[in-house]
Amino acid sequence: MDLFLQQLVSGISIGAIYALLAVGYALVYSIYNFTNWAFDAFMAFGAIMAFIAIASMAMPFWLAAILAIVLTIILSVGTEKLAYKPLRMRKAPRLFMMISAMGVNLTIVQTMNKFFGGTFRKFTVDSVQPIFIGNVSIGRMDLLAGAISFAVLALLWLFLYRSKWGLAIRASSIDIQTSSLMGINNDAVAVIIFGLTGILSTVAGVFYGIKYAVYPTMGMITIKAMIASIIGGLGNLPAAIVGSMLLGVLETLVSGYISSTYRDLFSFSFLIVILLFFPNGLMGKSGDEKL
Amino acid sequence: MQDPILQIQNLTVDFGGVRAVNNISFSLQPGEFVGLIGPNGAGKTTVFNLITNSIRATSGSISFKGKSILGKSPDKICRLGISRTFQNIRLFPQMTAYENVELGLHNTPRYSLAEAFVRTPRAQRIEADTRRKAHELLELVNLEEHADKRASSLPYGLQRRLEMARAMAARPDLLLLDEPAAGMNEDECEELIQLIRRIHVEKKYTMIMIEHHMKVVMDLCTGSRIYVLNLGSFLAVGTPEEIQSNPDVIKAYLGERKNGHQHTHA
Amino acid sequence: MGYINAILILGGINIIATLGVSILTGYTGLFTIGHAGFMALGGYLSAILIKEYSVHFAPALILGGLFAGVASLIIGYPSFRSRLRGDYFAIATLGFSEAIRLLLNNMKQLGALNIGGSFGYSIPSGMATVPVVLIALFLALLFAHMFVTSQYGKNCIAIAQDEVAAEMMGVNLLRTKLIALFISAFYAGVAGGLMGLFFAYQSPSFYSITQSSNLLAAVVFGGIQSLIGPFITALVLVAAPQLLLVLEEWRLIAYGFLFVLIMVFRPQGLLGYVEMNFNFLKRGWNKLFPRKARRGEVLH
Repeated sequence: MDLFLQQLVSGISIGAIYALLAVGYALVYSIYNFTNWAFDAFMAFGAIMAFIAIASMAMPFWLAAILAIVLTIILSVGTEKLAYKPLRMRKAPRLFMMISAMGVNLTIVQTMNKFFGGTFRKFTVDSVQPIFIGNVSIGRMDLLAGAISFAVLALLWLFLYRSKWGLAIRASSIDIQTSSLMGINNDAVAVIIFGLTGILSTVAGVFYGIKYAVYPTMGMITIKAMIASIIGGLGNLPAAIVGSMLLGVLETLVSGYISSTYRDLFSFSFLIVILLFFPNGLMGKSGDEKL
Repeated sequence: MQDPILQIQNLTVDFGGVRAVNNISFSLQPGEFVGLIGPNGAGKTTVFNLITNSIRATSGSISFKGKSILGKSPDKICRLGISRTFQNIRLFPQMTAYENVELGLHNTPRYSLAEAFVRTPRAQRIEADTRRKAHELLELVNLEEHADKRASSLPYGLQRRLEMARAMAARPDLLLLDEPAAGMNEDECEELIQLIRRIHVEKKYTMIMIEHHMKVVMDLCTGSRIYVLNLGSFLAVGTPEEIQSNPDVIKAYLGERKNGHQHTHA
Repeated sequence: MGYINAILILGGINIIATLGVSILTGYTGLFTIGHAGFMALGGYLSAILIKEYSVHFAPALILGGLFAGVASLIIGYPSFRSRLRGDYFAIATLGFSEAIRLLLNNMKQLGALNIGGSFGYSIPSGMATVPVVLIALFLALLFAHMFVTSQYGKNCIAIAQDEVAAEMMGVNLLRTKLIALFISAFYAGVAGGLMGLFFAYQSPSFYSITQSSNLLAAVVFGGIQSLIGPFITALVLVAAPQLLLVLEEWRLIAYGFLFVLIMVFRPQGLLGYVEMNFNFLKRGWNKLFPRKARRGEVLH
């Protein structure tokens, strides 16, 4: 039982990271209808920037994190302006958007690989005693990560559903042409969305770096987040969170009880099985094309 | 009186809080040509989208040739015999005019996959036959000389004709035309009227035409009927003369004109 | 001499896999960065059949291809089915490819079989000679050409250009996409098998995202809706780094830049929409050896 609970805790903490990433992915997907492969790169970039700030400039952790977030926002918005906007303006097919996104991803990740090196670095965080509930240990960092993730997502929810700009974004997600005719500035929406992407990916990256390690290809776990988003139901933010927690927990249980070798194969197979029975994900609504 | 080829009953669709189509019922006999008109936003294209199931109906029934087609996939519906053109042209931009039309003919390939890899004499004959039929359709809409031009490079009016040819290539029994005269001038409209009439007579399709050009609608629907849609419901149905003198119809369109929407000449 | 052989063979293998990706991405418009996974399935199955069951290499390669093809259907069917036109397929193939690679890396045993895990799996050598690869390449190109010029291929092209319109005009999207996918996975599987024959060795490291990126890059650079473009590019991508070793480190970075640049400035790639036909040979011949017009004929 204790092992189970321990796995559960571990699963929830990785699920929180997935949730941040899945929401970021779903946000871009629901408005622009393509998969932002560069998300992978942003996460690694954010973590690495924070790491460099701490390691070579001896910045305090919180300051480094904020700096990393700012830098990633710049990178993310810049990517949108240079690599996506020209295609969006031309109404380029989704395939072309994805190729461009993959291009950005490769460039950033491989440049970091070349200059930062592929070895795993660790954030030096003072190790503190974990909290114990019964025999189950919960790392303080995990708690903090969970709390902050929750806070970030709650703030995001407030922004999307209680602010004027959030309304503009939700309108754009339904029909970007109509919303621009209604006076919504599409460029501003793009900046906000990709700014949010930058924030979410950096926070996730920093927590992942603390929990595991920092390295240029750490963004690979965004695939898991994308899978989680699909399992929950594409384009639907709450679904992305549900999918993430579910995947995080199940995956960790498989890893703990069967073996870690099969963990990724499980996640992938789980995706296929879900799609077989729920073609639109667990909570997805079917979309209709505008003719 | 035969069985109706298309029968729609109590068809309704809701988008979130908006009821775009409200309890529509009508039926068509094989070979009929009817018009569907109404102010902008009335829901005309939505009716077409419901028939072809690009949009799922909230309630009601649609039956074609006696069988329900509700919930069938759009490609199945097309193969059952319903084809259409689009309000915002949707040609295959990088394909030539010829290739666009040909696509309708082989939407289900007419030979097996194995024969695709090794082109047997039978497969070659089938391809020649397909080519011939595609050229016939291009001739019918007077686009033969543009056959090898990229669809995206054709002028707007020709693109509309090409879409019609492609829709016909899919061998429909029911042909839905969505604003075929959009953007055309007086002369082009006249040509279009002749073309559509010829198509109706030669191919004997059942046809529904959405149009804003009143002259086109009134002309082509002489002897038949026009449905007027407003805010998702049928406002009136009748012959061209009846519709033109119907005060509710006039008010619906006038109301639109008052709001600054310019409608094309009647 | 052996060096040129190696380039021809590796180039040929790469071209075969690229032709598959071209059919799926270039002609049908479906993004994939996971085809290395299909190469791995085909590669390992054919290697096992050859080494453990003494199957002749030709049927072994075919079976490897078929195995990859069937696997692709298992992924493709749920991915393409949904009315929500999502990027399920792209993500699923990427996830699949990585999962396979990690699995092979960690699996020393497959049941009773020792397949070496990350150390690789060695098999008898010497079967992937230049003639063998050239024949495979010729067949691959021939059948790919037959497919894309057929009514099936044209339906694929329609899907790439406007999937919704294609569906409304009666094209069965699911079936057409699955056919294109199966063929592309088959090609990848055969290519994977040939890799094993060439190196006398199979290893999970052959089937990384870099490999998948190579295939996609050849299609993006070579051209959408073209076989000849990716054919040339795939060969160049194999040959070039051998000649300019220093560039190898920058390969993926260069891909990245070029992907974006090409999408922004010339999305159709180098030879996009250029269909292979032999008219240029006929015209060239006529230019070299002009002939007098026969009665009633008009010479261009």
